Amino acid sequence: MTTIAEKRAAPDSGRRATRPRPRWLKLPSFALAIPAWAWLFAFFVAPVALVVWFSFGYKPGIFGTHANDVLSFDRYAEALSPTFFSTFQNTLWVGVVGTLICLAISIPFAYWLAFKAPVARRGILLAMVMIPFWTNFLVRTIGWQIILAPGGVLSEAMQSIGLLNEPLEILYTRTAVLIGVVYNYLPLMILPMFVAFDRVSLPMREASKDLGAGRWSTFMNVTLPLAKPGIVVGILLVYIPLMGDYITATVLGGAKGNMAGQMVANQFQTAQNWALGSAMAVVLVLTILTTVAIAALVAWLAAWPLRRSQRLVLGDKS
Amino acid sequence: MKRLTLTDISLKVWAVVVFAFLFAPIAIIIIYSFNEGRLLVSWNEFGFGSFSAIVTKPAITDAVLVSIQTGFIAALIATALGTMAGVALARRAGKWAPAFLILLVLVTVTPEIVDAVSLLPWMVFLGQDVGLSMFDNGIVRLVVGHSLFATAVVAYIVRSRLVGIDESLEEAAADLYAPPFKRFTQITLPLVMPAVLAGGLLSFTLSLDNTIVSAFVQVSGSTPWPVYVLSAVRTGLRPEIAAVSTIMLLLTLLALGLVAYVLRRAGDSATDIAKTVGGG
Repeated sequence: MTTIAEKRAAPDSGRRATRPRPRWLKLPSFALAIPAWAWLFAFFVAPVALVVWFSFGYKPGIFGTHANDVLSFDRYAEALSPTFFSTFQNTLWVGVVGTLICLAISIPFAYWLAFKAPVARRGILLAMVMIPFWTNFLVRTIGWQIILAPGGVLSEAMQSIGLLNEPLEILYTRTAVLIGVVYNYLPLMILPMFVAFDRVSLPMREASKDLGAGRWSTFMNVTLPLAKPGIVVGILLVYIPLMGDYITATVLGGAKGNMAGQMVANQFQTAQNWALGSAMAVVLVLTILTTVAIAALVAWLAAWPLRRSQRLVLGDKS
Repeated sequence: MKRLTLTDISLKVWAVVVFAFLFAPIAIIIIYSFNEGRLLVSWNEFGFGSFSAIVTKPAITDAVLVSIQTGFIAALIATALGTMAGVALARRAGKWAPAFLILLVLVTVTPEIVDAVSLLPWMVFLGQDVGLSMFDNGIVRLVVGHSLFATAVVAYIVRSRLVGIDESLEEAAADLYAPPFKRFTQITLPLVMPAVLAGGLLSFTLSLDNTIVSAFVQVSGSTPWPVYVLSAVRTGLRPEIAAVSTIMLLLTLLALGLVAYVLRRAGDSATDIAKTVGGG
């Protein structure tokens, strides 16, 4: 009976926290989250902290992997020296261009899936987008290795229709890595974008058309702005794992298509220099965070004049 | 019937092109699993030799068994931890919730390679310096590595499902003097069951797919399947790898179909299923 009394007493401010709660066992509210919290702390927070700690150390002699008796930023200077810096640049290039290509492929595709595809078949079409996503990452990348090989399917096909006179020399280059990452992360862009487009209700778009806007104008001024959160999620879901990719570059990149992930892995597995590898890992994470922050700032600044003009046109926002 | 405009036609053509792109390497792998040649990449002739060769190679069957075993345990742990965390986030969110959500987001956005290089020294530290010998065990290491991301995913899925369900049923049970534990097992858990099952199956698939963390933390003797394939990439790929991949693709499709079936029975639309399976 307390619940009813509480319901009356609670001021209706609309906040979740003010909702009446049944009397649970006398445990703190986060009790159920403690196991997950402890698990993630022990095997995520602690190890990552250890790596950050390693990054300030050095490699003692040939047989040691790390030492921390003298602390410095030297490993960071080393990680950013010209030898390794070019790999970071390469990674950034693949990351940015790959994300933009995914975006360019996904916008028309997700639009078609949300508005033009037959409604009855939408579920099966979505499942088809997901199948590659849940096929083994490494195996589908090997599929591309077979396709792109100089004696492979694509090369033969292009030669037989006369597009090429000699075998295709694309495997083990940066282009091959780019094709691989676009392929591997494309479903991560399509899915949230589809969900976002799907949420833009038909009445909204019809109202826009009734008010005399053309298709293009409706798309640019109504559909796209409303779908923006989903598009942003898609960009993040593609860009962040793409920057840390290790497998695609290993299978398709060869010596010319190195990425930062491989460089970090090499320091730990081959060179046995954990201090330098740790510094590279930290630089990689910082690069990802900085570029995302810069992109967000640029997008915000670029939308500034647009926001002002729209405010004038629409008047009251409600 | 509306007249098809040029835009409609070009959008449809684009969709066909994208689907062709999405399925090209998968089709290639399936076709090449019937390659009788010695090397995977060079096509020789059609045959089933690679499928029968799987059985005669203990390294392959061992690797697949390690993967399945790891996937099963990792999925159990991730589902248990993630479900409890998800319920807590949805039903009893307090001041701690934002901090915990930030931790979950950090787990999901940290590049896998960073997880991998952090877990390797940590496992060595726990196993040798601290003396917890269980962390020298290959399966334990793999299970721990695979459960992190999956725990966060399960927590998201369970949370988003419970947030959409009104708390009145639990309140009614409380008014009828059901003790908290009974309320949890008889009301809350059945309500989130579809999300729990979906999360568990996803964790299993994620574990089967995991290559990077596995490659770092694995101990020789318990090599999971993707790491076996990764080492074959360096030494030479044979058609058996495509054959096993084809079989595993079928298994994954089965698991995916099961997720979709469970969610559909629970009344989700295609969009909701996409959201759930997409991990957000």
